Amino acid sequence: MRIKGPKDFWAGLMFIAFGLFFLVWAQKHYQMGTAVRMGPGYFPSVLGGMLALLGLLVLIDSLVEEGPKVARFHFRPVIFILIACLAFAYLLKPLGLAGSIVALVFISALGGYEFNWKEVSILAAVMVIFSVLVFVKGLTLPFPIWPAFMN
Amino acid sequence: MLRGLIAGAVLAFAAGAQAQAWPAKPIRLIAPYAAGGPIDISARLLAPKLQEALGQPVIVENRPGAGGNLGVELAAKSAPDGHTLAIGAIATHAINPWLFDKLPYDPLKDFRHVALMVQVPNVLVVNVELPVKSVKELIAHARAHPGKLDFASGSTGSTGHLAGEMFKLMTGTFMVHIPYKGAAPAAADLMAGRVHLIFDNLASALPNVKAGRVRALAVTTKARSAFLPELPTLDESGLKGFDMTTWWGVMMPAKTPEAIVQRLNTEIFRALESSDVKERLRAMGSEVPAVRTPEAFTAFVAAELKTYGELVRRSGAKPD
Amino acid sequence: MEGIFSNLWLGFTVAAAPFNLLMCLIGVLLGTLIGVLPGVGPVATIAMLLPITFNLSPIAALIMLAGIYYGAQYGGSTTAILVNLPGESSSVVTCLDGYQMARQGRAGPALATAALASFFAGCVATLIVAMFAPPLAEVALKFGPAEYFSLMVLGLVAAVVLAHGSLLKAIAMVILGLLLGLIGTDVNSGVLRFAFGISELADGIGFVTVAMGMFGLAEIIANLEHKETREVFTKKVSHLWPTREDWKRLWQPTLRGTFLGSALGILPGGGALLASFGAYTLEKKVSRNAHEFGKGAIEGVAAPESANNAGAQTSFIPLLTLGIPSNAVMALMIGAMMIQGIAPGPQVMTERPQLFWGMIASMWIGNLMLVVLNLPLIGMWIKLLTVPYRILYPSILVFMSIGVFSLSNQPFDCFLMALFGLLGYICVKLECEPAPMILGFILGPLMEENLRRAMLLSRGNPMTFIEKPISAGFIIVSVILLVIIALPALRKKREEAFQEG
Repeated sequence: MRIKGPKDFWAGLMFIAFGLFFLVWAQKHYQMGTAVRMGPGYFPSVLGGMLALLGLLVLIDSLVEEGPKVARFHFRPVIFILIACLAFAYLLKPLGLAGSIVALVFISALGGYEFNWKEVSILAAVMVIFSVLVFVKGLTLPFPIWPAFMN
Repeated sequence: MLRGLIAGAVLAFAAGAQAQAWPAKPIRLIAPYAAGGPIDISARLLAPKLQEALGQPVIVENRPGAGGNLGVELAAKSAPDGHTLAIGAIATHAINPWLFDKLPYDPLKDFRHVALMVQVPNVLVVNVELPVKSVKELIAHARAHPGKLDFASGSTGSTGHLAGEMFKLMTGTFMVHIPYKGAAPAAADLMAGRVHLIFDNLASALPNVKAGRVRALAVTTKARSAFLPELPTLDESGLKGFDMTTWWGVMMPAKTPEAIVQRLNTEIFRALESSDVKERLRAMGSEVPAVRTPEAFTAFVAAELKTYGELVRRSGAKPD
Repeated sequence: MEGIFSNLWLGFTVAAAPFNLLMCLIGVLLGTLIGVLPGVGPVATIAMLLPITFNLSPIAALIMLAGIYYGAQYGGSTTAILVNLPGESSSVVTCLDGYQMARQGRAGPALATAALASFFAGCVATLIVAMFAPPLAEVALKFGPAEYFSLMVLGLVAAVVLAHGSLLKAIAMVILGLLLGLIGTDVNSGVLRFAFGISELADGIGFVTVAMGMFGLAEIIANLEHKETREVFTKKVSHLWPTREDWKRLWQPTLRGTFLGSALGILPGGGALLASFGAYTLEKKVSRNAHEFGKGAIEGVAAPESANNAGAQTSFIPLLTLGIPSNAVMALMIGAMMIQGIAPGPQVMTERPQLFWGMIASMWIGNLMLVVLNLPLIGMWIKLLTVPYRILYPSILVFMSIGVFSLSNQPFDCFLMALFGLLGYICVKLECEPAPMILGFILGPLMEENLRRAMLLSRGNPMTFIEKPISAGFIIVSVILLVIIALPALRKKREEAFQEG
């Protein structure tokens, strides 16, 4: 049996995985109740089941119909962008807004294909100044600006 | 003897000086609820007053989540240096401990209860089409139609919900609880007649009562409310001992120095007595609380904890 | 009729007082800024500004706060079109065609359409509020849980129409969204679902977090795929203004969107959101250019934009007449009113006519200000798009991250955003569309809440959805819509079967 439509094949698998997860978890942990007096597990179970079923249909479709191939999954931008966001979030308290923005800008810029030290540094600086002015001074959001050890 | 006196004086001065060195940096006031709700608003009313009195910025930080538990937990685990305050409420300190299996804080041991700020009664309101004009008639009606009456609440485990459960227990009636997400949608359905009654908080019930869109039967506190003085209390109407309020106040981590706690208590009550704060809190239905000292507040919390533990157990209001 | 005009006149004299005008301007400016900045929303802003409003007169305070609210709608549309980031939940639909138009060099017409459609809708809706507030409020009261549930079923069926790809996958994405929306505390039972013991998940995942991840991050990652600096936005920028052809195409969607939005905005709880994608769906079904939807059809911007702005205005009706807030922002306004000593409710109209009519008049003035502000800004926004992408995207990331972080001052939300970014990218690769998922995400918990509540109230009688006339109406329309959607797909399959056979 040949996979004629890879995109749909993986999509189907994803749906089946999600659907089954919600269905099984709901069954295991929450009360179903009855159709008339639904418990917390009812809706998720029904929906999870439906999702898994739909996933199956999509999967079968992919085995029968010709479909487009999955384009290449580019790991590099994924990793850099996601790590950049995580770095920002977890470095905000220790390094202050200044430090975390710098980290975010540099890491995300590294995820692109053009990296110019001067350009990125200027961008980072501008972003820090702008953010401090708009968010901390302007909107009074409670962000620390400087790293914690500088207090 | 003189040396002793001097030593004593020096010690007292040093202790006073330590208290005077506080606050040394901005103080954060954690509001464990989303921005804009009554608790958040009262925090934002208090903050500028404290800032004036203490000379350091007092910044309100919203930490919503888990019915208030997240913010309160954060406060409990903060450094007890006097720079972290939090608003603790009936939900976080008297009810949630019974509804949640594992609470990451102890409502009595992990906190100093600095000052009770707000106490608001709930009002028993019914839909105008319901043929009852008093609590007595309501009880009779409920007994005649078991399971037919719906009472709404702003959420499972809220004071409105538990007030209803208490009512059912004390009167031996059976009504169906319909939870909503917030007081407003519950009130809307009440006015439309889809539910029959709510134990709504005074602030949101008052406009509807005055406009005649709902009928008020009683208040949940032992004392009558200054806003609806002609309304009897549930206690007067035959449910002896019924006394429920929604309350919240300022708390700090348990090991905060005594001097700081006392100073804050003084400043907070000074703020509460100031005319503008007093007016605005009145608009919410709250008078300056009678429970004044930190010790009294702690005793109050302990009593509330006990009451609601009993109630949750007897009514089975735990989440299934 | 005469009464209305004298009331409106009263309102305008109040609203046009210099100080009130200034407050209106500040409000809409702030609102636009908030709308443009992802993550920071009108709720947080209004909450932070509440203490300042204590010192203002009630009218001035409310005018400013209201300005922030509908100003944010304008700003949210701007980011939706420019960078595929929906500032407000009702801007999600604008992303679909608006962003595509921007990529084709047509950001100018898209932005202009959004601004003008919103203005038109705002004016009409303000008139509707002025003339029909009390009777419309009564209609709103007729909507109980059963009616809401059926309306949302209709909305979800319509959500499927939003997708332009595979029907099956669109439905699956809707259901996935529904399921993800269920994470958190269950209203009806108080049970914490799918939270894995993480307390931060107790209130569910926020819309902003999911939207930033699925729309924003996924888009950035996808754009970074290729080595050569792919021009994300073509340098060739055509007119800044809609063409004649555009005008011809957009006036009807604007009209339809306005009325649909006005109608749905009255319903407390979810009305305005349903309005925007209901309008989009309606347009897609009636338009001759349906095949262009999703690829940059101007109708796909005009319809939802007019709908969401009309909805934003009419959502004041339940607030001003009944004291019922339609959404979180309205709830804040009630708080603001109460602090000022005003009890929201039906008596506001009679006891404080200046307040009531002043607010209504200021809504019109605010809309005017927003158009005047936003149209010249279009040129500036276009310039912004010509900035090389390698500089643009880190900036977007900064704003997104700050915005999401500020939701609860915790890193956790950014972590979730990253997760959804990954999911969003995977979905892009697998050609599964995010818009139906997001709509399912928002509507899911509401649907379940209303379904269970309706069943509770009817003591377990499922016929309640058919017995109530309004509810039955929506169910019937849903079924019809489903059939209309399914027929072409089924017919196609039959044709294929015939050809192969």
